[in-house]
Amino acid sequence: MKEGSYANMWDTPPSYSLYETGEAGRMDYFLNQLINGICQGAIYALMAIGYSVVVGVVGMVTFTHGEVIMIGAFAAYYMFFLSGNQIILGLIVSFAASWVLGYFVYKVCYERFFNAPRHVSLLTTIGFSMLIKNLSQIIFGPNQKPMLDVVEANFFRIGAVQISELQIVIIITVIIMATLLSLIFNKTKFGIRLKAVSQDKTASYMVGINVKRVAMLGNCLGCGLGGIAGLLLAVYYQTIQATMGGPLGMKAFASSVLGGLTDVRFSALGGLCIGIIENLGITVTTASFRDMFAFGFLILVLIIRPQGFVSKKGAKV
Amino acid sequence: MKIDPSMLKPSAIANSNTIKSTKSFILKYQVYFLIGSLLILSILPLFTNRSYILGVFCRIFLYSILAGALNTINGYSGQFCLGIAGFFCVGAYSEAILSTAAKMNFWIILPIAGIITALVGLLVALPTLKMQGIYLAIVTLGFSEIARLLALNWTSLTGGPMGIKGIPVPEIFGFALKTSRHFYYLYLVLAVIFLFVTSRVIRSRIGRAWMSIREDQLASKSLGVFTSRYKAINFMYGAFWAGIAGAMYAPYVRFIDSTYFTLDEGWNILSMVIIGGQGTLIGPIVGSVIVNYLTELLRPIGQWRMVAYALLIIVMMWWRPQGLAGASNSIVAVKGETRMRHRKVSRKEAQA
Amino acid sequence: MKKTILLLIVVSLVAPMLFAAGQSEAADTNVIKLGVLAPLTGTNAEYGKGFEVGMQMAVDKINAAGGANGKTLELVVRDSKGDQKESSDLARQFADDMSIYAILGDFTSGCSMANAPIVDAAGLVQLSPTASNPNYAGMSPYTFSIMGRQDSEAPFFARYIIQKYLGLNKVGVIYINSDWGASSYSNFKAEADRIGLNIVSAVNYVQDEKDFSSLITKLRAANPEVVLILDQGAVPQIINQIRGTGWNVQLATLGPGTSEQLINLTGKNAEGLVLSTPFFFDEADADLMAWRKEFVSKAGFEPTIHPVCAYDTVYLIKAAIEASGSGEITRQTIRDNLAKVSITGVSGPLKFNEPGDLTREYMICAVENGKYVVKEGFDYAKQ
Repeated sequence: MKEGSYANMWDTPPSYSLYETGEAGRMDYFLNQLINGICQGAIYALMAIGYSVVVGVVGMVTFTHGEVIMIGAFAAYYMFFLSGNQIILGLIVSFAASWVLGYFVYKVCYERFFNAPRHVSLLTTIGFSMLIKNLSQIIFGPNQKPMLDVVEANFFRIGAVQISELQIVIIITVIIMATLLSLIFNKTKFGIRLKAVSQDKTASYMVGINVKRVAMLGNCLGCGLGGIAGLLLAVYYQTIQATMGGPLGMKAFASSVLGGLTDVRFSALGGLCIGIIENLGITVTTASFRDMFAFGFLILVLIIRPQGFVSKKGAKV
Repeated sequence: MKIDPSMLKPSAIANSNTIKSTKSFILKYQVYFLIGSLLILSILPLFTNRSYILGVFCRIFLYSILAGALNTINGYSGQFCLGIAGFFCVGAYSEAILSTAAKMNFWIILPIAGIITALVGLLVALPTLKMQGIYLAIVTLGFSEIARLLALNWTSLTGGPMGIKGIPVPEIFGFALKTSRHFYYLYLVLAVIFLFVTSRVIRSRIGRAWMSIREDQLASKSLGVFTSRYKAINFMYGAFWAGIAGAMYAPYVRFIDSTYFTLDEGWNILSMVIIGGQGTLIGPIVGSVIVNYLTELLRPIGQWRMVAYALLIIVMMWWRPQGLAGASNSIVAVKGETRMRHRKVSRKEAQA
Repeated sequence: MKKTILLLIVVSLVAPMLFAAGQSEAADTNVIKLGVLAPLTGTNAEYGKGFEVGMQMAVDKINAAGGANGKTLELVVRDSKGDQKESSDLARQFADDMSIYAILGDFTSGCSMANAPIVDAAGLVQLSPTASNPNYAGMSPYTFSIMGRQDSEAPFFARYIIQKYLGLNKVGVIYINSDWGASSYSNFKAEADRIGLNIVSAVNYVQDEKDFSSLITKLRAANPEVVLILDQGAVPQIINQIRGTGWNVQLATLGPGTSEQLINLTGKNAEGLVLSTPFFFDEADADLMAWRKEFVSKAGFEPTIHPVCAYDTVYLIKAAIEASGSGEITRQTIRDNLAKVSITGVSGPLKFNEPGDLTREYMICAVENGKYVVKEGFDYAKQ
């Protein structure tokens, strides 16, 4: 994003040998891949958290989450463009943009379908995600957009193991978000209502909770978290595109299912697991197999534990 | 391919009030109706030599089978399969590999491809018998992606990213089926066979077991239905026909690669089933006709076409969530108490 | 409700008949219509848009200059969505419509190859600007592609760019696992093995991949002296992510050509990048700059190699029409002349070989101070 000076920054003679050979080198290599996996897993975790908040309070699965993430990324893109890479502003704007989209998702895809069978709202979310994707292709243009140098490229090295500042920023942001969310869930009245609604809608209704309102706010909150995940993804991958949402939504879905769909903590764990498994799988083979590792692992876990890591009483999905 | 009365009879549960009156109307003249619609469809190619129109019809027949296959899983036994594109992929690749590498005859391959896909279906079904709802859905979704990626990466078998080209066209007694008109008839015949077989299966013991699983798995188990076995059979049956559809498709395009079988393809088929209506034989056909035609009719609006299609899906779900010709008092259409009320009404009607 | 349903079914069954009836209008003999298949929606919409704009620019220019042989060209653009079934149906539609003289497109090899039997039966040219599967052009006498065969560019890259120009030996390759990427890589590898270039690591990924960090770590562990990227769409992301890990290895790429998008998307990360390209937007060339400016104003983004090739396909058809002189123009004459013509398009000299694709000549370019610079004296392509 910044107009960088084209000083010959790669003029310095390249240092090729990052890794020692032999056992120690292989260990370092493995650790580096693990860090890649954790970083990717952290983003998946944030997407999955948002996803499971949505699924928890609404009680229906969604395929719009990829588009919610994409909108967050685009909001951040335009905010960075205007404000000159203010991360905090970007976070707020992408959260807000996805929150707003979440409101529409709720109105279009869930509100009328609480008493309809599952596949109805599911197809509506598929339709809505197509709508958003194609509209954004028309509005934002179909081509890739750059998102450069939002975070300085600094590195921390311990031997040959290196972690970039960007990766640290991402992991910290995800941890902060997860902590904030768990605070909301456990310490505020709103959070307790959210929990109640996600466990049993009828009972919540009977004790006087405005179920629809809480479901709507919870859905918006989950979408907002998705928007932040979108920002982090955009900063990490440095390019954004209107069609980027689809595969990401799938990953959020898969991570969330792995964690048991409605449990926020386990969903985060699910995302982390999928991120790590994918990257370790790529270490052995190559990235063409990425989704095979993700889905293969998920299927294996589901065969052993048919409801993911945790099966929570009450939450019916 | 239009309303075949025999399709509408499967069971008392699966028929809606809406359809019921239509049904009584059609039943009266069922033979004429059946013969009439088949006649129209079979002489249609004589009136037009536009391969475009015949091509669109081929697509409708193909998707009628695919959507119908998915409907036997989602609509009749109430499972939740999102991975129909994976079965389609397996069937198409089976045909392509057997006809190019093993040089086998299309008519022999056709059932073999179906059986291979059915076995794959069994492979998917076995570990998932205990799973329900969305967990089953994600497994089938994952299977679909894994099948596609296998096709992309298993270069020695599937040609990898290069795909398989030069798939030979089918022959009947030395007569090669080449043009869209030939394929029109091939697809029409296979679609009719599919509908006929499925309508028989649905009315058989197996079909009744599927529907009892759909309505209440626990109850049907307690009445002595081997739910696991019937669920596995159900998956195999759906996969079999998706495999047949794939095997029909490969020689039609003569070239396949893994980009044909993405998740979007799966959504496309799913949207046909749901828009048309689940749990009836006519539903997926209506869905296939509507979706394929509308996307063709919307062509003049260019890049707004997919926007309009997305809006159509949403409007359709708002206006008629059970689909245009769905089984509207079944669990696939209404949930919980509403359904019980529906049932009571229909029981009263039955007594009256 | 039952009436609605019945009505809908009837309408949808009758609609095609009306379609059929309505389309048989008499063809205007002074207009030559070209069918365009392009993915205007879906994942590849970016390229489809480039097609549409590039081809329309060519048509406008030709018509403004008096047309081809005095006849006006007209594009009939259809959205194939990148879906083979839709693309095939559209190809059939074009085949039925006798006022269509040639098809330009489709974008992906998958679609183009699915259409090959259709255009073969109809005797209608399908000229794809981008179909890169090496099997495509040979499928029928009527299928053409101007993407350029990878059995020339990839060996050129191994031999002249990496071994002679860069003087490096240990190569790490990262390529897209598509028909184009796989054939590029196998050609590159064959030549590398022949001339003794050491491929220390080769990794691939599928389309829509976003996270390359683990592949980069993998490549890095193999200590290559140069990393070669074989792709078109994802090259900027890979470059950014390689630099994002602080790895200042020499980078080289085969595929995107000298696209301004690449520089915009990578900023200073592209500095020092070496690439092969069949054409080059020379800042001194006013025509080319005007072309680029016009494209940007119409499309809203910088051109890649794809719209340039799309632009050239129209000129190829024009040349084929003009080659038939005063004789009658039919689908067949266009095909026969297209196989013979030789023009110099924006993307370089174009002349088809026997199967219907072409071997291009390549230049070596490097990115210096945010601009592409042709490395003179290393124009080995002409040998």
